[in-house]
Amino acid sequence: MFFPVRLSLVALCALLMMVCAGQSTLCAADPDTTFFETKIRPALIEHCLECHATETEASGGLLLDSRQGWATGGDLGPAIKPGDVDASLLIRAIRYDDPDVEMPPEGKLPAAVIADFETWIKQGAVDPRKQPASGDPEQATESVVEKAAKHWSYQPPVIDDALASRADLIDHLIDRQIKSQQLTKASPARPAVLIRRLAFDLQGLPPDPAEVKAFADQASPEAYEALVDRLLESPQFGEHFARHWMDVARYADSITLRGFVLNDAWRYRDYLVSAYNQDRPFDQMIRDQIAGDLLATGDLEEDRLRAVATGFLALGNSNLEDQDKTKLEFDHLDEQLETIGRAFMGQTIGCARCHDHKFDPITAEDYYSMAGIFRSTVPLAHANLSKWISAPLPISPEQQQRYDRLKKELQVVAAQIKSFKAQQTGKPAKGSLIALDSLPGIVIDDEQATYVGDWTHSTSAKPYVGKGYHHDANTSQGSKSATFEPKTIKTGRYEVRMAYTHGTNRATQTIVQVFSANESKMVRVNQRLAGPIDGSWISLGEYPFEAGGQAFVMVSNEDADGHVIVDAIQFLPVGQPDQKIAKADPQKERESEEQREVQKKLAKQISELQAKEKQLKAEVANRPTYLSISEGEPKQEVAIRVRGNPHQFGVKVRRGFIAAVGQADHFAKQIPQDRSGRVEFAHWIADPQNPLTARVYVNRVWSWLMGEGLVTTENQFGTTGAPPTHPELLDHLAQQFIDQGWSTKQLVKQIVTSDAYRRSSRRDQSSQQRDPENRYYSAANVRRLPVESLRDAMMMASGRLQMTMGGSLIPKGLSADYNFNHQGYRRSLYQPVFRNSLPPLFQAFDFADPSVSVGDRNQSTVATQALEIMNHPWVIDCAAVTAKRVLDEKQWRQSAELVDRLYWLCLARQPSKQELESCVQFLTAEEASKSPDSQRVQDLVQALFVSIDFRYLE
Amino acid sequence: MTLNRRMMLAGGACGFGSLATQAMAAETLSSNALPGLLAKPHHAPKAKRVIFLFMQGGVSQVDSFDYKSELQRRDGERMPFDDAREFAKTGKRGSEQRLMKSPWKFNQYGQTGKHVSDLFPKTAQHVDDLCFLHGMHTDGVAHGPATLFLHCGSTNFIRPSMGSWVYYALGTENRDLPGFVSIAPSIGNGGPRNYGSSFLPTRFQGTPIGQAGSETLGINHLEPKNFGDDRRQQQLSLIDSLNHSQMQRRQQASEEFQAMNDSFKLAWRMQQVAPDVLNLKSETQATRDLYGLDNPNTRSYGERCLLARRLVESGVRFVQVNYGDNSANPAWDQHSNLPKHETHARAVDQPIAGLLADLKQRGLLEDTIVWWGGEFGRTPYSQNNGTGRDHNPGGFTVWVAGGGFQPGTSYGQTDEFGAKSIQGKVHMHDLHATVMHQLGINHEALTYRYAGRDFRLTDVYGRVVHEVI
Repeated sequence: MFFPVRLSLVALCALLMMVCAGQSTLCAADPDTTFFETKIRPALIEHCLECHATETEASGGLLLDSRQGWATGGDLGPAIKPGDVDASLLIRAIRYDDPDVEMPPEGKLPAAVIADFETWIKQGAVDPRKQPASGDPEQATESVVEKAAKHWSYQPPVIDDALASRADLIDHLIDRQIKSQQLTKASPARPAVLIRRLAFDLQGLPPDPAEVKAFADQASPEAYEALVDRLLESPQFGEHFARHWMDVARYADSITLRGFVLNDAWRYRDYLVSAYNQDRPFDQMIRDQIAGDLLATGDLEEDRLRAVATGFLALGNSNLEDQDKTKLEFDHLDEQLETIGRAFMGQTIGCARCHDHKFDPITAEDYYSMAGIFRSTVPLAHANLSKWISAPLPISPEQQQRYDRLKKELQVVAAQIKSFKAQQTGKPAKGSLIALDSLPGIVIDDEQATYVGDWTHSTSAKPYVGKGYHHDANTSQGSKSATFEPKTIKTGRYEVRMAYTHGTNRATQTIVQVFSANESKMVRVNQRLAGPIDGSWISLGEYPFEAGGQAFVMVSNEDADGHVIVDAIQFLPVGQPDQKIAKADPQKERESEEQREVQKKLAKQISELQAKEKQLKAEVANRPTYLSISEGEPKQEVAIRVRGNPHQFGVKVRRGFIAAVGQADHFAKQIPQDRSGRVEFAHWIADPQNPLTARVYVNRVWSWLMGEGLVTTENQFGTTGAPPTHPELLDHLAQQFIDQGWSTKQLVKQIVTSDAYRRSSRRDQSSQQRDPENRYYSAANVRRLPVESLRDAMMMASGRLQMTMGGSLIPKGLSADYNFNHQGYRRSLYQPVFRNSLPPLFQAFDFADPSVSVGDRNQSTVATQALEIMNHPWVIDCAAVTAKRVLDEKQWRQSAELVDRLYWLCLARQPSKQELESCVQFLTAEEASKSPDSQRVQDLVQALFVSIDFRYLE
Repeated sequence: MTLNRRMMLAGGACGFGSLATQAMAAETLSSNALPGLLAKPHHAPKAKRVIFLFMQGGVSQVDSFDYKSELQRRDGERMPFDDAREFAKTGKRGSEQRLMKSPWKFNQYGQTGKHVSDLFPKTAQHVDDLCFLHGMHTDGVAHGPATLFLHCGSTNFIRPSMGSWVYYALGTENRDLPGFVSIAPSIGNGGPRNYGSSFLPTRFQGTPIGQAGSETLGINHLEPKNFGDDRRQQQLSLIDSLNHSQMQRRQQASEEFQAMNDSFKLAWRMQQVAPDVLNLKSETQATRDLYGLDNPNTRSYGERCLLARRLVESGVRFVQVNYGDNSANPAWDQHSNLPKHETHARAVDQPIAGLLADLKQRGLLEDTIVWWGGEFGRTPYSQNNGTGRDHNPGGFTVWVAGGGFQPGTSYGQTDEFGAKSIQGKVHMHDLHATVMHQLGINHEALTYRYAGRDFRLTDVYGRVVHEVI
């Protein structure tokens, strides 16, 4: 049999039990449960509970979803006798010892599983499951939820008014810990170091060398604050912070499967840039991203921002090809819930898809009450390959009127074409045969088709293509087919046409299937009517085909109510000039001159109209769209899916949220009957009383600036996440953030003006030993530049970096991202994030996996990075252009002077004496003359690009 | 400076990160190996490495290795089948289908008298070395999901590839080469995700050599253009001296900086070593003949197979040799024109047979697992009553050789027509578990903590098929 789904989440938490069985905090109850959790529970879930659970049929009266269930037993008595393997009925059944009870019925279990059951029973059949009250049958453990709800992150922040009013809140709390840990604070960073750090942190770009010099000359607290303000106001701030959030939002411009291009994703990115630049309150950004399309204000600009933000919901890397569309929808909404959970609340909601969360206060009921909200939306348009939703972008009434007008015009033109065509086909051409070589494109005549069943050759009805046509003799309906397959086809779009000879004894619903690169589409053809094109042909539509890929047309006589005719199939490349339409052989035409004139005139009118139609279509298609999801039929209740299997229904739950978090009940009650509930979902998350939201976000901003979060697991605030190093600081920052109107810029300023941020990264030995990971911030963290900054800094040194903002760099009409050639010198943020073709260096230099929400990027140090940065033509080119730029600046008489210039350009500092010596020696090694050779300069520039100081902040 | 959490090669609970950093930093390692997570395998391994011959698109089992006399006899009969696509789309079972016999003749080969069709006469010469799994079944009816499942154990979720897991666990025996290589991978049907490391550290991702549809076999950016060795060495020595000055200036000597500086030396070595391994010119004429390099039909796959042998010989842990293309309906996907199977079989049969013979004569087959198969099989009935076969994840054949798998064995079976696996069933998860078992890895114990959960290749499934090892 084919298992409908094998869900990966099913018993993962059972695995976790295994892992933390040795720890004493959460699952220490009884080490014996380890065996049950790792072996028995998963086996029961997979093989037994489908029939033996409270929520299912309880086959034979036997329940295996709780200890009490099997102890009481079913119709045959207790199923298990702890300690006595052979006396346990369950063992007899699974061993297939007794022909009357062989379980599971679909086949004997693997020997290893049977052995596990034997071991388990021998050891006393430890089973922590209590009788389930309702809901999920395999989750009957005691109230993990209640216990977990006491975890710090689910409690409201603890605010001390005296602390809250301190201007030096951050340093006060950081210093207190430094003192108690007996650490020594590092001295303040030198101005040149500080300005470089600040510039990269706030803009993702290096500071201008002149600025560095100026700031170093007159550094003062006022000058620093002015610098902070200026950087916060620069448009590059929004770009840099948008990129931070894009990691969290798993931003991408394409889908891995088949490389489909998400043409409108960039609008979401541009929304983020502008939101950060305008310091849009973060609670509003949450509402924008979850329900912005539903919260229109009437202000066009504002409404466009809000709508576009919902692209967040549609960026998932789903497998649109999945044939089981219900499963696809559940997988898709699982991805949405999981991303929302991680991004805004640091929660792993997905765990509750199959059973109550094993560690966090998220029940399966909570999961499906949130799922109910997304079940009330339309996430995808389904086809063989489903597609994301492109919604019409809010535009001005004038623009809208224009598009409405165009649409109307288009309708009129289409109607006219139809009517002319009807006139045309009313008097079909009467030639007898159409020569094959008179036809453009690829033509497969009926003689070249592959037949299944008996088909009869005929020449009775004319005109036909080639030497005749085939019909099914109107017999054996459903058992005959004819397949037309080109020997070869070049990749491209084709219009597929079918020729047949019409007549009154023909089938009215002939089934014709076109198998193209991506899909198979069925078209029904009424063969009693003359072909709309020249009386012989009908268009089956336009399709993409790939060389070597699927390309064929199959005609079948299934359910046919008359003769099924096959004459020829034509593949016409789309967009080629001179699409000559199949014409009857003129020599054999017996048509009157007059008729021919009429036909000619009609053909001309049609072709003019078709040109007009094409142009109108193109204009209508220009109407801007955005990536989103739409509202669907509101579902008041959704059934819990047993073990996450979308086809197995458990009890029904009403729409709502995670009951243990914030004001879940309050907002759940506000969900209107006739809406999806997305708006309330957003309100619940963005609510000041949601204990997670502000903390999670404040912690992210802290980690973006300080190199590490106060909670080091930025996406995981559940019980398995790391505890905060400075809980009071986190709480007060979060509360102040809310009180100050969720202003990111104020929060950033608060952090970067602290002493903690401004310290040098140099640490004394004892602090190093006491706090090797620098969790108490006694010095600044040494941080690596993210790949975007690395690239941008190289482009900046070369003088080629363009600061143009926004827009799409994806060429129009690009259908797949494969082997995309990233070009140009815009900031890295604007390069399309193609999941199959990332920009140069991205992959090797630890770019965030764009398929999942990433809270902190990996940092690896591997040889392949060195290969890339040393050998990638993009880097070598950057070095060459930088060298040329500097050499063109002036006549460099002294190599030392040149080296000094290069150091300022690349590292924003002057070279040390030792460095100067090495570089000068390198430049002049082979040359008798002292004039620097451009290749040497280029190699020196590249050496600076790859050196520690270029790649790490100090 | 501090070597904070993120700067480590973040690993599991075992401090692998620092171990690897040290291993990389230490220039004087006696062996050239780079250890993995497991200091010692979970149990004594039978195999050290894997060559996976991926037949993209799905080879028809009833036209290759799963001989069904009943299918030949009852050709053309119509009867109900639980068609996988039909079931996924509509939940309908038992749709009527027309049995279609194999157009190829089957002959018996070897001591075991194994039936093999005329598609694989050369591979057939090795049947006594092969272990056939006829009862395979898997997840995913379409190429995308099934291909991801084959590689990553999941149809939809983002998970590491099997090669990454193995590399992560066992490390590599030659740190001058990547530990996991995919030769000529397709960019379609999941593309890089099929050899990606997902949440495992990036260094464990597969390195592609070449690409489907291209004859060139090379590693990206392995060698710079227009850089002589001399020029590059002078530049590297400048980099070394600049990095040392910078470390001194920062008054911070750290493992991180050291490892970064050393990575240039490692890269340089890879640049020296890898081109030699990739260069097939040094092979003898006898070897060229063995792999069919002088026959235009077999040259392409022959080169890939020969390269695979050279890579495993040089210490690469996991090599995937792809036969496919970049289209949505890849190579073996004969929906409408079953006879096309022959073109593909002609291209791979000789190279595969050559690889088996070559590994055997070099004594490598003993501890190398050769795994042959696709993402699923095909139906024994015609698709839409036409002239091809549709996908069949419910029953198909994979063969494995070497690495402790019982040679000359046929395990499991499909029903009388070859549609559904009915006995000796081996799920793809089970195959993953078994291959890992042979490598000394307990698939249940090899986990990675990510986003608060522990993940493994086989999820919560997988059974080691002890019957064939």
